[in-house]
Amino acid sequence: MAIVSIDGSNLTVVLQGLDKLWALKSRLTIPLAHVRGATADPGIVREPKGWRSPGAHIPGLIVAGTFRQDGQKVFWDVHDRDKAVVIELRDDEYQRLVLEVEDPRAVVELIESALTQR
Amino acid sequence: MGRPRGFSEAAVLQAATEIFTRGGYAGTSVDDLVKGLNLHRGSLYKAFGSKHGLFLAVLRHCLERQLAAVIQPAITGDTAASELIDKLTRAPELDLLLVAAVERGPQDAEVAALVRTALLMIEQATEAADPRPADGATARPARAIELLGVRLFERLYPEPDHPHRPTRPTRGSTKET
Repeated sequence: MAIVSIDGSNLTVVLQGLDKLWALKSRLTIPLAHVRGATADPGIVREPKGWRSPGAHIPGLIVAGTFRQDGQKVFWDVHDRDKAVVIELRDDEYQRLVLEVEDPRAVVELIESALTQR
Repeated sequence: MGRPRGFSEAAVLQAATEIFTRGGYAGTSVDDLVKGLNLHRGSLYKAFGSKHGLFLAVLRHCLERQLAAVIQPAITGDTAASELIDKLTRAPELDLLLVAAVERGPQDAEVAALVRTALLMIEQATEAADPRPADGATARPARAIELLGVRLFERLYPEPDHPHRPTRPTRGSTKET
C-alpha cells in the first residue's frame, strides 16, 4: 500500500509497513513536470513484469520494487490488484509507477486535476 | 507477441472513439482498450500517458479531423443542409460528445472546453448551410441542441423505421424521409 500526495510541485509516494522492506525504498519524490497522467488499472497486475532488480516478487502475493522490461524501469508496489493505479512518467528514472492505493479513483482525480492546473 | 510496435494513431483514435461511445468513459477499462485497440499496455501508456490522456486525444481527433471534414464544406457553402444534418446525426462523433459532456463535463475543464468548441463548430456549420431567422425566443445554440437531442433519442430507438424515432431537424424545402 502506498500513500500518494501532492506537495507543492512534487508528487510524493510514501510506502507503508513491510512494503518498505520488500521494495527497498520508503519514499519516492517525483517532480509533477515528470508526471504524464494516472489511471486506475486492475488488469495490469496480470501483465508480465520483467526482471526484478532489486525488490521482492512472490507471484500472486507480493510485487514490490523495481522491475526492468524492454530497457524500461517500472516501480511496483501492489498486493491487491483491484486497487492498482498506474502513474506514467517522462524524463524520469522510472517509466511508470504501479501502486496499490486505498482509493484509486481519488488518487487519479488528485493527479489529473494537479496536471490540469499546471 | 508478434504484434507490431508501431501503430497508426488515426486508426487507434478511430477505434477508441467506438470503444468509449459504447462503454462510456468510466465504464471503459484499460483491459477493454488494450483488447479493442490491439496494443500492448505499455505502448498505450507510453503513447497517451493515461486513460484520460487517450480520451483527450480522441476528442481532439474528433474535432480536428472528423467533425472538421464534415463541417468545412458546409461553411464554404458546398454542402446542402439536409446532407450536412444527415452526416452529422450519423457521425459517431456526436455520441462521443454526448458521453464526454455527461460524464466528464462537470469535473473536467479540458474536456468541457473541447465539447464547447465542437458544439460551436456544429452550430456555425448548420447555420451557414440552413440559415434561420433570428428569434429571441429560441434556445441557443439552437441547432447544436436540436442535433444532440435527436441523437439522444435515436440511441433509444435503434431500429431506423420505429414510429417514434425522432425526425432530423431540417426544414425548408427538403423532404423528410
